Amino acid sequence: MAANGTILGACALAALLAGCGPRQPSNPGQKTIAIVTPSHDNPFFKAEADSAAARARELGYRVLVNTHDDDAHKQDELFDMAIANHAAAIILDNAGADASIAAVRKARAAGIPSFLIDREINLSGVAIAQIVSNNYQGATLGAQEFVGLMGEKGSYVELVGRESDTNAGIRSQAYHDVLDKYPGLKLAVRQSANWSQTEAFQKMETIIQANRDIKGVIAGNDTMALGASAALKASGLAKVTVVGFDGSPDALAAVRAGAIQATVLQPAARIAMAAVEQAHRYLTTGATGAPEKQSVNCELVTAKNADQFGMFARR
Amino acid sequence: MRALLALVALVAALSFLSPAFLTAANLAILLKHVAINAIMAVGMTFVILSGGIDLSVGSIAGLAGMVAGGLIDRGLMLPMFGVVVYFQVWLVVVIAVLAGALVGAINGLLVARLSVAPFIATLGTMYAARGAALLLSGGATFPSLTGEAGLRNTGFPWLGSGTILGIAIPIWLMIVFALAGAFLAARTVFGRHVYAVGGNQRAALLSGVRVKRIQLLVYVISGFCSAAVGLIIASQLGAAHPATGQSFELNAIAAVVLGGTSLMGGRGTIGGTIIGALVIGALADGLVLLGVSEFWQIVIKGAVIVMAVVLDQLQRRVQWQPTAQS
Repeated sequence: MAANGTILGACALAALLAGCGPRQPSNPGQKTIAIVTPSHDNPFFKAEADSAAARARELGYRVLVNTHDDDAHKQDELFDMAIANHAAAIILDNAGADASIAAVRKARAAGIPSFLIDREINLSGVAIAQIVSNNYQGATLGAQEFVGLMGEKGSYVELVGRESDTNAGIRSQAYHDVLDKYPGLKLAVRQSANWSQTEAFQKMETIIQANRDIKGVIAGNDTMALGASAALKASGLAKVTVVGFDGSPDALAAVRAGAIQATVLQPAARIAMAAVEQAHRYLTTGATGAPEKQSVNCELVTAKNADQFGMFARR
Repeated sequence: MRALLALVALVAALSFLSPAFLTAANLAILLKHVAINAIMAVGMTFVILSGGIDLSVGSIAGLAGMVAGGLIDRGLMLPMFGVVVYFQVWLVVVIAVLAGALVGAINGLLVARLSVAPFIATLGTMYAARGAALLLSGGATFPSLTGEAGLRNTGFPWLGSGTILGIAIPIWLMIVFALAGAFLAARTVFGRHVYAVGGNQRAALLSGVRVKRIQLLVYVISGFCSAAVGLIIASQLGAAHPATGQSFELNAIAAVVLGGTSLMGGRGTIGGTIIGALVIGALADGLVLLGVSEFWQIVIKGAVIVMAVVLDQLQRRVQWQPTAQS
């Protein structure tokens, strides 16, 4: 009986999927590029996947877009699928600097080159390219702007991203390499809000209780900066300086509206397109013409220049 | 009552360690944070009392926030008329809460009519509702929920940030949900029937309780409460994010169990649940005030939940020994 039910269910599901999948013209000679990123509920990863997919279609590839939700195991399964589907190349924003090495190596062994974007893996020579935005340079820009906005003095709060994430550590390090040089700047509280807007809102409300004299908040990403900004506004501390990181469309709007004072834009769209172009060059000529490790500089966004930026790119 | 003891001990310890903890301003913030989990846990208490479990509450909160966010930020597109309709905020709130109650009703129908195990039924709706929330915006955040005077849909931020008599609206809502829940559980026929269904479903059925109807209603209540939570969060942030509410179900279940409700059903109170939510909230905020590392915060939270339940088991055993028959 249970088996009957399973078969029935599978049939119903197959019918449903046949009705709603995006239809792509099947062209026998066409090569496939698989694009694997974290969940698209973050506009950053969506912009990345969308830009890569658009560029790949322009270059004549069939595109397979999937998300691993920061789960290295799911990423591994997606790699198996890409290998089974004879993908020509994989564009990957990986699920962990160490946990992803095996999957990339497995694809390489199956003759599929991987082009990494946004996050590096802790081994060179396995992926063909690793193109990341320079988090350290970007965070340094953000911190320098923060120093200026604070007038080089006063106590501030740092909201750190998920502490197990490499980029959370790099950004925090860059912040402190700049901020710790100014004796007038005092770190009142350092807390992780796990990249989350809701968590940053609640933690900021609590932090304010013990530190009503804070003059600034520097956050490891934009969603935390926006959460902190909402909490400060609710507590009547709208004059506190808030600086974020990422340059998401929401943050750009907040910078224009004055809710936060600055953010740092990661050129995610440009990086994703560059990865696809290098994959294309590699597949047609056998080389990318660029070193494996490439780092692309970030740009500071303030009220003065916010209008020049769009979806993780200069307009 | 162990939860009350834990709460008193916790508040004493945190007040001792941080001078900022036991201040009126901090307690006001603390209660506002507790309200999120407490309102969700009130609904969860009814489900667990009836012998069920509801894993979809966090997703329902996310979905309700997105429904409200979409209606305020983008309006409702009517392609056949080629117009975009904007609703007044009270109507947006009603629609969003109904959406939550609807998902609850689906849970209830799956459990009561199709006899799907509650864990599985609500696991399914947990995924489906989260997917629906993501689909509403294509994964994006609805960033501006202030509304526009020209569209006559302003006022949504009041729900999360407004005050009455100097007390935040979420706290008032928590009080209303707690009192209504306690009244419903302890003073009405419906409440007695919920306990009966959770205590012994077959006996309840034989004594004329409409078991299926009770099962349906508890999930509707849970969906309703979760949707209210989603609205409060969206209102506080002034933005609706589709991933809002992830893993909230575990906080709600923890509050219910800490409050002395049996996961087997049939035993527990709403008051206990509120105290359970206060324990979890005081711990979370207190550790932030003390500047404890995120990793330790998680360890301590887990340890407190387990310790409180272990203490309860010991206490129960001591009480039961004289009357050996149970």
